[in-house]
Amino acid sequence: MKFYARRIAFYVVTLWATISLNFLLPRLLPGDPADILLAKMQRAGGELNETTVRNIKALLGGDTSSMWEQYVAYWGRMLQGDLGVSVTKYPTPVTELIAAALPWTVILVGIATVISFVLGVGIGAWVGWRRGTWVDHLVPFTTVLQSIPYFWLALVLVAIFSVALGIFPIFGGYDVWEFPNGPEWSWDFIGSAIYHGFLPALTIVLSSVGGWLLGMRNMMVSTVSEDYIITAEAKGLKPMRILRTYATRNAAIPSIAGFSISLGFVVAGSIVMEQVFTYPGIGKLMIQSVQNSDYALMQGVFLVITVAVLAANFIMDIVYGFIDPRARHNV
Amino acid sequence: MIRNAKRRAALIAVAGTAILGIGLSGCAGGGGDDDSDSEGRTLRVWAGSQTPIEANFNPFSPSVLHAALGPIYEPLFFYNKTADDTPAPMLGESYEYNEDGTVITVKLKEGVKWNDGEDFTADDAAFTFNYEPNHRDGLISAEATDESTVVLTYETPQFTNEFQILGTTWMLPEHIWSEVDDYTTFTDEEPVGTGPYVVDTVTDASYTVVANEEFRDEGVPAIKKLQYIGIDANQSAQDLLTAGELDWTGMFVPNPDSITSKGVISMLNTPQDPTVLYTCANAELGCTGPQTDVAVRQALNVAIDRGTIKEKAFVGLTGDISPTFALLPRDQKWVGDPANEISPQSPDAAAAGEILEAAGYAKGGDGFYAKDGAPLELSLISVDGWTDYNDAAKLISEQAAEAGIKVNASTVQWQEFSDARQTGQYQLIMGGVIGTSVADPFQIYKDWFAGESTSQVGEEVPSGRWNFSRYDNPVVNEAVAAAAATDDEAAKQEAYAALQAEIVRDLPYIPLVINATQTFFNTKDFTGWPTEDDLYAFPPAWGSVASGYVLQHLEPVK
Repeated sequence: MKFYARRIAFYVVTLWATISLNFLLPRLLPGDPADILLAKMQRAGGELNETTVRNIKALLGGDTSSMWEQYVAYWGRMLQGDLGVSVTKYPTPVTELIAAALPWTVILVGIATVISFVLGVGIGAWVGWRRGTWVDHLVPFTTVLQSIPYFWLALVLVAIFSVALGIFPIFGGYDVWEFPNGPEWSWDFIGSAIYHGFLPALTIVLSSVGGWLLGMRNMMVSTVSEDYIITAEAKGLKPMRILRTYATRNAAIPSIAGFSISLGFVVAGSIVMEQVFTYPGIGKLMIQSVQNSDYALMQGVFLVITVAVLAANFIMDIVYGFIDPRARHNV
Repeated sequence: MIRNAKRRAALIAVAGTAILGIGLSGCAGGGGDDDSDSEGRTLRVWAGSQTPIEANFNPFSPSVLHAALGPIYEPLFFYNKTADDTPAPMLGESYEYNEDGTVITVKLKEGVKWNDGEDFTADDAAFTFNYEPNHRDGLISAEATDESTVVLTYETPQFTNEFQILGTTWMLPEHIWSEVDDYTTFTDEEPVGTGPYVVDTVTDASYTVVANEEFRDEGVPAIKKLQYIGIDANQSAQDLLTAGELDWTGMFVPNPDSITSKGVISMLNTPQDPTVLYTCANAELGCTGPQTDVAVRQALNVAIDRGTIKEKAFVGLTGDISPTFALLPRDQKWVGDPANEISPQSPDAAAAGEILEAAGYAKGGDGFYAKDGAPLELSLISVDGWTDYNDAAKLISEQAAEAGIKVNASTVQWQEFSDARQTGQYQLIMGGVIGTSVADPFQIYKDWFAGESTSQVGEEVPSGRWNFSRYDNPVVNEAVAAAAATDDEAAKQEAYAALQAEIVRDLPYIPLVINATQTFFNTKDFTGWPTEDDLYAFPPAWGSVASGYVLQHLEPVK
């Protein structure tokens, strides 16, 4: 039990520290949101009259209370589930923005991450098993895909499949022309959402499958040279049984740990993907908040991401204790 | 409107699990559109809104959606910023100043209704001018003297504020807005205006407006439905235009031919806003660096190759700038000295050298000028990612080097740029000057050149003013005050001539080009757009007031 108590205490302290940092960091950044918003509007349209300027200054004027008072108020509000009001989408509450964006990101990036994990580990196990044959060529191929800058890959796929061939849509989470009233319960809408999510998901899978594949393949190669595999072979077990029951299960343990961490990051979304495809997710909120010094939104998004990563790690710590008993004793 | 996050989450969960099940096969073909049925087709607009879209039609809010400004709410008169026209009536019929410019009497159109069926009255107009955020410029009173007349009385002459008062003050229905507690947090999700459109639906990804049945003119608007969408990347908007899925937008596209070559979308370029080098010019207010010497600014001015900058950095789309900051040909009558119509387009390194040598600089062995042992070296910043500005800065650096002036161009983050220009802690910045919305450069002179619009280095310039160069010249200040107090064209021209002589010599902002403003619209399915020959309004989809005015002129192609 001592193992679990220590882990829980560790996570509580980490959570407190990250939330406090989350409070502090935006306040250390330079720049006045009102001024930034004004200059942005000037660059975009050039039509700013004095009324607008005065209103913006009135709305976004700095908070004059002391840092400590702000910190206490911050915790008070957060414990009530109030993350403040967004400046860029004034006066929409941050929680509303995040609640609207989160499902899109979690489902799309989540599914893409699972697919790329399953594919990567599966193919990696096979490639490791058949090491030294032609299948080894898969490794450099997928790592090249991974090393291509993500935005470039995404833009190329959009240019080919969406603009030139017109097979896939260019932007959005669903067809805004066909569903001007927003999401609805219908097969048409679900089909539209899947259709719009396909290319973004594909780009994520293409660019991340190589990592899983390489890690799994190498782990497989070292596992296959272990004594118990040789014993199993000597006893005349079927190769497929050795591959599945003996080698893959043990070789996959480090990948599973990595997988849990990347599941935590699913919440952070894929910032570039969401920007390229105008996908209604959380990574885009993060960019917008940082660009506009929208402190409340920034803190809200970082908070959700931090908590998700910590939670994923925590669950993995617990689960790992079961999968691999060595972990419990070595702590 | 669906705002229930739980329901949406459940919906998407179903969609997600279905990905694995049905795959892609059953649902291809969702993106195509029926172009043959152009009559009654929805006009699709991108006015720069980013996702997620949040319903907010409050014209006082910084996050107001574009459809509110013109298509829904309207001011009294429409001012065409692209030409020297008299203002066109919107809700006002005519207006009149008293002798000294302190009282404006406005006659309103009769028979105008709000989109909820109530009558628009002079009381509504008076309420609007008295409404807190509009109450400014020393307004003494706004009164409805009869059914269709409103009288505005001010402390000081308002000749130069005419556009702000009559052209940008959105008329509000008293029966709605008198109930609003706090206009800063009011989101106005069902706006009641007099414009040609009313809000239909708003979602995260787009919002739709439909024709206002109560609109004052018969048969207007001819386009019954508009859908404004949210897009985050200019590239996506460009792709949508190319694919024929978007009908109207305003944005910078360096290679417009790729969009217009299919004959569906046309482009109209209406350069409006000057791009300049801000120089922190005034040593008395605390500016430091070689650029505080007027000779250095003059030398830079003649050393710059504006023709090359236009072609290479701005792909030939910008207009030629006048050092008087009058927008030509619109403001032709305000240019005092014909010699100042246009800044030199080709460089003259020799002339730059002469100016510097006359001011006591000498060329060193490295080919760069120096004075009293101090090398002539300047830093020039531009915002990282504004590639047109970054390229122009690089070109300027090369061109200055030809003339023996060392300019170190670098890029900075937005915030650094913003801080530097606000506080005056910079030497040279690539920046923009807000153009004027009427055919008169007065607003630029007052906001960018007058001493009252600046402050000490280290302090921010006054709110709503933009004199970042810290320029403060008594002749200019006097001319601005004189022009503000008169409605006499000759007196104003005289004041401007005096002012222009000062700023053309002192160059607190070194003029470069007039920035392009590109508008893309679908001329195959819709007619009535502004054209090069009939520029009746500023055309971009984001233009406030103007976009509503353009929409009243559009018709579907039969």
